[in-house]
Amino acid sequence: MSFTQANIIKIASLMHRYPQKKALVLPLLWLAQKQEGFISDEFINTIAELTHMPYMHIYSVASFYTMFKLQKSDKKTIEVCRTLSCELNGSEAIKKYLVENYSKNYEIVAVECMGACGGSPMCTIEGKYMENVTIEMLDEVLHGN
Amino acid sequence: MKIMIDETQIECKEGELLIDVMLNNNISIPHFCYHQDLGADGNCRMCMVEIKGEKRPQVACDTLVKENLEVFTKSKNINNVKRSILELELLSHPVDCPICDQAGECKLQDYYMDYGLYESHLTTPKTHKGKHIDLGSHVMLDQERCVLCTRCIRFTSNITKTHELGIIGRGDNAKVGIAPNKPLSNPYAMNVVELCPVGALTSKDFRFKQRVWFLDSAKSICHGCSRGCNIFIDYNETKYTTEKIHRFRSRRNNEINQSFLCDYGRLSYKELNEKYEGKISDVQDLKKLLKVEKKVALVSPSLSLEQLKSVQNFTQKHKIALFSLPYLDENFGDDWLKTNERSANFKGVQELFINTLQKEFEEAFKNAELIINFDHQLLKNKPLVQFTSTQNVNQENLVFAIANFAHESGTLINCDEIRQRFEASKYKSQVPRLVELLEQLS
Amino acid sequence: METKIVSKNFDIPNAHTIEVALKNTRYESIHNLIFLKPQTVIDMIKASGLRGKGGGGAPSGAKWQLASDYIGEKYLVVNGDESEPGTFKDRQIIAKDPHLLIEGIIVTCFAIGAKNAYVYVRGEYEEFSNILQLAIDEAYAKNFLGNGAIIPIDITIHRGAGAYICGEKSALLESLEGNRGHPRLKPKKPEPEFYFGNPTLVNNVETIASVPFIVLHGAEAYRAYGTKDSAGTLLFAISGHVNSAGVYEVPFGTSMIEYIEKLGGGIKNGKKLKAVIPGGASTPILPAHLVKEAKLDYESLKALGSSLGTGGMIVMDEDTSMVKALKNLLRFYHHESCGQCTPCREGTSWVDKTMDKFINKSATHEDLQILKGSSKSMNGQTICVFAPAVSGVIDGFLKHFEDEFLECIV
Repeated sequence: MSFTQANIIKIASLMHRYPQKKALVLPLLWLAQKQEGFISDEFINTIAELTHMPYMHIYSVASFYTMFKLQKSDKKTIEVCRTLSCELNGSEAIKKYLVENYSKNYEIVAVECMGACGGSPMCTIEGKYMENVTIEMLDEVLHGN
Repeated sequence: MKIMIDETQIECKEGELLIDVMLNNNISIPHFCYHQDLGADGNCRMCMVEIKGEKRPQVACDTLVKENLEVFTKSKNINNVKRSILELELLSHPVDCPICDQAGECKLQDYYMDYGLYESHLTTPKTHKGKHIDLGSHVMLDQERCVLCTRCIRFTSNITKTHELGIIGRGDNAKVGIAPNKPLSNPYAMNVVELCPVGALTSKDFRFKQRVWFLDSAKSICHGCSRGCNIFIDYNETKYTTEKIHRFRSRRNNEINQSFLCDYGRLSYKELNEKYEGKISDVQDLKKLLKVEKKVALVSPSLSLEQLKSVQNFTQKHKIALFSLPYLDENFGDDWLKTNERSANFKGVQELFINTLQKEFEEAFKNAELIINFDHQLLKNKPLVQFTSTQNVNQENLVFAIANFAHESGTLINCDEIRQRFEASKYKSQVPRLVELLEQLS
Repeated sequence: METKIVSKNFDIPNAHTIEVALKNTRYESIHNLIFLKPQTVIDMIKASGLRGKGGGGAPSGAKWQLASDYIGEKYLVVNGDESEPGTFKDRQIIAKDPHLLIEGIIVTCFAIGAKNAYVYVRGEYEEFSNILQLAIDEAYAKNFLGNGAIIPIDITIHRGAGAYICGEKSALLESLEGNRGHPRLKPKKPEPEFYFGNPTLVNNVETIASVPFIVLHGAEAYRAYGTKDSAGTLLFAISGHVNSAGVYEVPFGTSMIEYIEKLGGGIKNGKKLKAVIPGGASTPILPAHLVKEAKLDYESLKALGSSLGTGGMIVMDEDTSMVKALKNLLRFYHHESCGQCTPCREGTSWVDKTMDKFINKSATHEDLQILKGSSKSMNGQTICVFAPAVSGVIDGFLKHFEDEFLECIV
């Protein structure tokens, strides 16, 4: 598996922004995940070649960061923040409601602080922030899914 | 330059690491991640010491010595620090010492006896991780016993540069491992077993075979090639068996092999457990044979200087043309420890001016009425007089079994002309030593 | 009460576009640079008393000097990892006034002599880093960046990918080099940070965003706000049980309770205040009676046994279970420990699991001792301050609310 032409152009322009190719590990992991939805074995190999790093380095780095997905998922993801400000403002009930009503089509994950404490409780739907979340808002956005 | 450690004056050099100074002076300093041949990483936090003028305990592996440094390693405070780190290290450890091969040479056990000795406070479930994972190259991994010191990872990243091992995951879920379908595979892989300070990495070849406290060790030298890597031969003799060698371990020598061995050499101990079991000839029969005119002898370049000299004296006395030929193998050597010359003492052969010219040997061989082989690999299975340390000879000839190098002490000269002694194990060989046999003949 | 220095343009519609930004003083400080020497700018920062706004509070001028003096190719790294729970101020700058950040970066690069700047933005902030990227593109188009600029520098956004520890500057640099985010061993003497071995300055987004004001109006103008040791303003954030959670810029030294009541809109549902975590999750909790004494500056909060941290306050009302709150935080730390040092890797897991017994009301006195013991076993023995901060958090809860924990003991 390889990067699309558009991504190859992006990579080429990123290359001379950094003093060493190794710095591209995270940007390339992001591009791979954007392109395929997860980071496949083939992409780890591709990134290893592009950055002149061993396969294990890329694999180990990818496993360190929680946002990188090493497995393919068929479902869309809803992340519900569970850290303190969100919990104080009812994130547990939001999570429970989502699990009970939307688990069929979505993977509902509890995550740690997303930096949206001022809009707690919050969640993300496919990465997009939704703040001051209420059950009504969720039904409206997820309706029909 | 002088520093004070526990009120004792220690000589050292500017710029040395404190932990090195301590290790070189046999001052006890517990540590997991530091290794003299892998360098510092600083993750285990076990080598804490108190330094005069510093508010907090410091790790000795990240402290450079400087004039008049005052270090304390034994105060109650510092022992409490070490104890608490050890307790954390052991929290999720399975404490399965009775079935662990590392028991007896495990740093967790040693330090628990030195600094721990607490009752367990754990009232919550342990973190579980993978067990008996076959990494390849005879190495087994138990992630629950691992202290994440990363010595094995640093070995495969920095020394062999093969990068099979890495940390996967994060926090208390972090574990050492290989990537899926990418096994540990390099000619030095088994070093990770020895580098592992705990029972996380064990050798498939050794595990479940012996308890280490039943083993004796002899300071020896690997005979697998001309590098002369320093080893310990670990062996024992039980009630029902004669002496058996169970493993080779590296013996640190900074000039030659540091703390490492190649897997070939490490596993070559097995040959030492082979014995010649055929008929052994009578010395008198050889004496009769010696009366012929044209006599040629070939001696193994893996014999010690002492053995070579004794063979040389014997052949000179009986007017036998003596040759030795190298064990060259172009496919064996690499740019690190392994050499193409696969004998242990070819430099010794040269020092004694033993003839090593192949052509002259072949000429002499063709015309010889008597050929004597002193354990040289080339002439095994040829109709000759054999002095053999292995089973592998044709029994129609005169055959004299001799002790292998585990039962010998002697001197070898390695490929870099470093002269080294090796020592015999403490049990007597069941077959005579070469030098003894030659004495009988004269 | 609000004092809008950094947040001046926040409420102006479309201030994130360069047209609006240029009409509202953005990029003006760059014109001043023509008449200034880099060292003069560093001296201005020193004189302003500007301190790092990411949580550490280190004097910025001294850091700039270290990076400037060190020989080699210089780099500027802007820390926008913002992952301290309770903190959401940097994203306001990034999303509402990205040109202020770009302007600050240009000035800082000029002062320390850097040609490359990286903005490390936490991975979750994708929407916000996209806004910043558009602003950077605009700045290139207008020749504020790139080869044609007066101060020719490049700015590259580098996205994190979900690791709290990457807010720690040396872990951030590791991440920026393409590694796991493991903090580095600390130097024994003052020196700059290093990116691939090159001298590097790492500053928080808000710190860099404070620079244009100082260069435009002078150190004294900045010093006019705040207190002697805490000069200027900070984008304090407030969340939890308050009516108007949000980010409000006030001078250092403002009364905490006044901030909560006037800007935070007071406690939700007319409840009473129980406690406040003053500066992001890693600062020790303050019970209501101390909140009333507290001033929002470094000295005051230190004197009360806590610290200013990132200035992100988490407010808890009278019904809040302190046992549940601590469990929440310890679960966070357990999840986020990088796992490099033993005391942190094992310790965060242990205290988190121990908290389950308090939650289930099945704890013993020994479990309480385990929590208390963490201040010894996790403090002062690790490469970075993650584990010591966790032990400080536990100590804070136990110091002020031990009775609630005792109630969970069988």
